[in-house]
Amino acid sequence: MRLLVVEDDLAIQGFLKRALSEAGYQVDTAYDAKTGELKALEGIHDALIIDLGLPDMDGLDLIARCRSQGTSAPVLILSARRSVDERVKGLEQGGDDYLTKPFALAELLARLRNLLRRSSPVHNDPARLEAADLELDLVRHEARRSERVLQLTPQEFSLLEYLCRNVGRVVTRTMILDHVWRMRIDPATNVVDVHIYRLRNKVESEGRPPLIHTIRGVGYMLKNA
Amino acid sequence: MPKIVRTTAAWRISTWTTLAFALGTGVAFTIIYFLVAQSIRDRSDAWLSGEAETLAQVSAGTPKDHLYNRIVGEVAELATRELPDERNSQGQRLNSVFFLAERMNGTEDPLWVGPGPMAPFHKAIHVANLGRGTPRSITVEGWPMSFRVAERQAPGGQIVYLGLSNRGDTNLLQNLTRRFVLLWGATAVMGFLISYLSARRTLLRVEHITETVSRIGSEELGERLPESASRDEISQLAKTFNLMLDRIQSSVNQLRSLTDAVAHDLKSPVTSIRGTLETAMCSEPNENWRESVGQAIEDLDRLLSLLNTTLDLAEAEAGALRLDRSPIDFASLLRQLIDLYHPAMSERHHQLTEDLEANVLVNGDLSLVSRAVSNLLENELAHLPPNCQVHVRLHSQQGSAELAIEDNGPGFPPEIVGRACERFVKGKHSSGHGLGLAFVDAVAKAHGGVLTISDRSTGGAVITVSLPASVLQPA
Repeated sequence: MRLLVVEDDLAIQGFLKRALSEAGYQVDTAYDAKTGELKALEGIHDALIIDLGLPDMDGLDLIARCRSQGTSAPVLILSARRSVDERVKGLEQGGDDYLTKPFALAELLARLRNLLRRSSPVHNDPARLEAADLELDLVRHEARRSERVLQLTPQEFSLLEYLCRNVGRVVTRTMILDHVWRMRIDPATNVVDVHIYRLRNKVESEGRPPLIHTIRGVGYMLKNA
Repeated sequence: MPKIVRTTAAWRISTWTTLAFALGTGVAFTIIYFLVAQSIRDRSDAWLSGEAETLAQVSAGTPKDHLYNRIVGEVAELATRELPDERNSQGQRLNSVFFLAERMNGTEDPLWVGPGPMAPFHKAIHVANLGRGTPRSITVEGWPMSFRVAERQAPGGQIVYLGLSNRGDTNLLQNLTRRFVLLWGATAVMGFLISYLSARRTLLRVEHITETVSRIGSEELGERLPESASRDEISQLAKTFNLMLDRIQSSVNQLRSLTDAVAHDLKSPVTSIRGTLETAMCSEPNENWRESVGQAIEDLDRLLSLLNTTLDLAEAEAGALRLDRSPIDFASLLRQLIDLYHPAMSERHHQLTEDLEANVLVNGDLSLVSRAVSNLLENELAHLPPNCQVHVRLHSQQGSAELAIEDNGPGFPPEIVGRACERFVKGKHSSGHGLGLAFVDAVAKAHGGVLTISDRSTGGAVITVSLPASVLQPA
């Protein structure tokens, strides 16, 4: 997978390049809209990450130009502007997703994966999810660990499902709130942690090995092994 | 402060006042002058006519013998004495009177009583060709002043002329004018001085205001203009200025304390992050590193959430909070949030109960409203001692949705009652930033609603948010 990052802040550009490379992507970078446009038009990228505040042109205009010249790769917009208006405008101009700075790397990666999956032609929605000795039946809403059925509330099941879909990857609390509760809120207290704690009690009871790991300062990860 | 007097408003005001005053009195004097002149003339004309009539009768009634000239002459002489003597400083008579009587056919020498030789008068009278009516003015050669002359025809063919020099009248009027001009000048100067001084006195107060205000601008906001007891325009000006200064000072103070609060709230996490990372840097690479980095990230997240909320609030207060409105089923939103917060509440042994009226629709920004409600629940979590009851109630009344969150905790600390919605106002023992309720307040206002905060009479606090809403009729 090859990505193009158009970002004028060299610190952010460098950090993105390092992080995305570590996540297994090939990364090209551009410092301004002009070079960005040239590189984007080569048509070799699977996704574009474009910052809105570029020195020579507004990011939104760059996206519009790329779109009008036939670039079809999904675009993830980065912006320091937080208003709803900007988000709507960005998505109207041809952006596919919008992320406000500062962001958690885990969230960027998740959104990127989401974009890449959406744009790939094969789209499979499994009826079953598996991770380590955990099994989730999405049709019957049943979770088993080592063949034993776990007594989960619907909420706990959704939470486990979300962790399971992202097995081996970190999910942040914001991502959990967004995907499991459909809430874009930013709690200062430990609401999410309490849910995880309860879920963990059920999944890891009776001396079973830990499955849900806390990544301090970032979020949680369901590990395969 | 040295200043050119002519550029001052006091100078301009008094100059114009004096000019207007002088012009007014000048016009008034001119009118009076003409009225006086007219009445003097009327008086002398009346005297002339009457006296000429008498002399004509005397002349007619006196037999034309050798005594005639003497008798008529003496009567005329007496008549000329009737006027009070008016003499100038050289003793010269000013009110010269002449009398001339002649036959219509000019057969005899005319009878002449008057100053100087008769010839120039005689000539002037004939040149002027006087009528029988009202007296008229004639100019006599050798006399600087004109004469007013009345002509009467006596029965018996005599024509009688009686003349009176205008010199007395002219002198009177000249005197009048001279005195008026003197008085006029003196009053104008006096008026100018008085109006200049009083304007100056008034405007000095304005100047004082200017000085004080310019000093306030550059130095101290605490200074105030003196407010005098009088209620004139300048005192009003001073009062208005002081009110404005009060407002400016309070907003500057607010800004200052806000900046202090932000700086304070930023400093502690930054210090903690720096310290954590520094400690990690100085230690050997080990598992503790992860712990330190995690700690630093958590601190940074808190910092970011503080920044974000501050920005949101600033936006909201500037009226720039744009709402992405859609109909929100308020009860189901609340239930979702309650589900989210329920475990955390149980963890602290709180009882979270609900009483939600269904089908209440709020046309609002889902993300803002959820954040506002979550802020309220966060507040309960953060401030209640363990083992409390939290009750969430939603009901609709008269086009508004009333959300009340009640608890039986200790209520609001007395030091923040009434100010709880202000930014960075928080209880002494609160670990938050004091932005939560301010944000809820801003969101409520942006939706045309109200946030009310009070303590319950039975103990505990109740926070009410009412938002404009419509009630959906169940199908």
